[in-house]
Amino acid sequence: MIPTVNSPSTEARSARRTSDPPLRVLARAHWPSSPGDQLPPIAGFVVSTFSPLIAEAAERCLRLAYGPPPAADAPRTALLLVSPTGDLGTADALAEAVAEGHRVPPLLFYQSNPNAVLGHLAARWQLDGPVVALGPGFHDTRQLQEQAALLIEDGDAEQVLAITAVQGPPDHATAVLLAP
Amino acid sequence: MTTAALRDGPPPGAVLVAGVGVRSAFGAGLAALTEGVLAGRPAFSPVTRFATDLRRTDLAATAAGSPRLADQLTAVLAEADALADPGHGRTPDGGADEVLLALHGDRRTGPVAAEVAARTGLRPRVYTGACVAASTAVADAAALIASGRRERVVVAAGYLVEPDTFAVFDAGRALSTDGAVRPFSLGRQGMLLGDAVVAVVLESATALRRRGGNALARLAGWGRTGDAHHVVRPRPDGAGLARAVRSALARAGAGPDRIGYVNANGAGSKLGDRAEAAALTLLYPSGTPPVSSTKSLHGHALEASALLEFAVTVGVLRAGRLPVNAGWRAPDPDCPLELVLDLPRPAAPELALTVNAAFGGANTALLLAPA
Repeated sequence: MIPTVNSPSTEARSARRTSDPPLRVLARAHWPSSPGDQLPPIAGFVVSTFSPLIAEAAERCLRLAYGPPPAADAPRTALLLVSPTGDLGTADALAEAVAEGHRVPPLLFYQSNPNAVLGHLAARWQLDGPVVALGPGFHDTRQLQEQAALLIEDGDAEQVLAITAVQGPPDHATAVLLAP
Repeated sequence: MTTAALRDGPPPGAVLVAGVGVRSAFGAGLAALTEGVLAGRPAFSPVTRFATDLRRTDLAATAAGSPRLADQLTAVLAEADALADPGHGRTPDGGADEVLLALHGDRRTGPVAAEVAARTGLRPRVYTGACVAASTAVADAAALIASGRRERVVVAAGYLVEPDTFAVFDAGRALSTDGAVRPFSLGRQGMLLGDAVVAVVLESATALRRRGGNALARLAGWGRTGDAHHVVRPRPDGAGLARAVRSALARAGAGPDRIGYVNANGAGSKLGDRAEAAALTLLYPSGTPPVSSTKSLHGHALEASALLEFAVTVGVLRAGRLPVNAGWRAPDPDCPLELVLDLPRPAAPELALTVNAAFGGANTALLLAPA
């Protein structure tokens, strides 16, 4: 288990710039982490693997850092999702229902935006920093680090749970807990 | 620059609004948008772009015809003067100027961003975070400028009412079925959708002065928070949204008493409006400044809504009149706000606040001041 970090001092945070050393990785987790890895469902999310994929990678990462939820001692933590694909499963299910004149399942409304699964994580782990969902254009690790560093330096977060998720096939996601 | 400096007073490199381009149901340009919201007549009419016979309403605030999103984005970027004088927003690695671009996430997102890139030379970085996507992009842009990383950042956002989002908001019973959006009113039923394609150029005071440009307004503060409460519902006590406003005020070096107008999120939903009113009551226990939700006039433009409301707030600051909160019928005891009703109200706010809240408990607050 990786120990919880204390809130960094204002001076330490304010001194950060993108030219500084990369943020420290406090914990990192992946889905899948092994062949045959199973993806647990989340209550209320249907049709698509996208939200379960994000939730599982984040859950594994946060458990490494904090044990079971909530993350009671965590400093103010932003949730930062980057997905170049977005939730194709939900978007396709919706588009198909509309094109064929079928009834649109009401649950698709609640998962029609990636913020929903971030809200699930924020409530479960009691993380009340900014909630940010990004799409194409934030592809590589350096850009993710820059976004996380910007949120921390700007003062609205003290650490960042950064999740990258691609809906395939194959589906894969990585979550890293980043701090100065 | 230190975080303490950002929090304790006006940032040394003020962030200015150097250009705005906009398309909405009120037409093309900031003047048409401002005139439209100040006229106080909701822009909702039956949708003709696609069939709505399976839905519980047929209303939305749409422009004429079936415009293409990439065409409209290219047009507003040119209108905001985002394509002139390239290089000011250049990234440290020498890459092309960026555009922080808020779009709904589906299979069209990547192709739209790619077409905008090909036609403008800008490098899109896409924000998909629901109703705070564009305001989060504005806050990030401001942070990039205030920290000295960039001299100029272009932010754009686009949503054009289309059948899939219309259907899923109808399925979620989020759309009003009584023909109007009635923010903070007793009997409110929900939102109606609306078109918005907007581009905003943010620039440091130093850079704008150097190139002889004129500012439309100043972005005095910004804040972003999370509720940590629910998948989609806002925290009922409004504490998360109030914290976002306090964060923006701290960056502006101002107290709540300096805010003379609030452009509310006010989507017309029962829970959302109540939580927003709770947030404003936390900030103003003795009574709020004038408040209106212009979603009652131009509709809810999802990922683009916050940038449309940012443009509205710039427009009303310059016009010296506050737009009405249309559709209001009767006071809701849970929403004790000083709403602008019936007629636009003359005013010269020192600061105007525009707030947004979204699925996931995401909150943003942006503070604008006259240039």
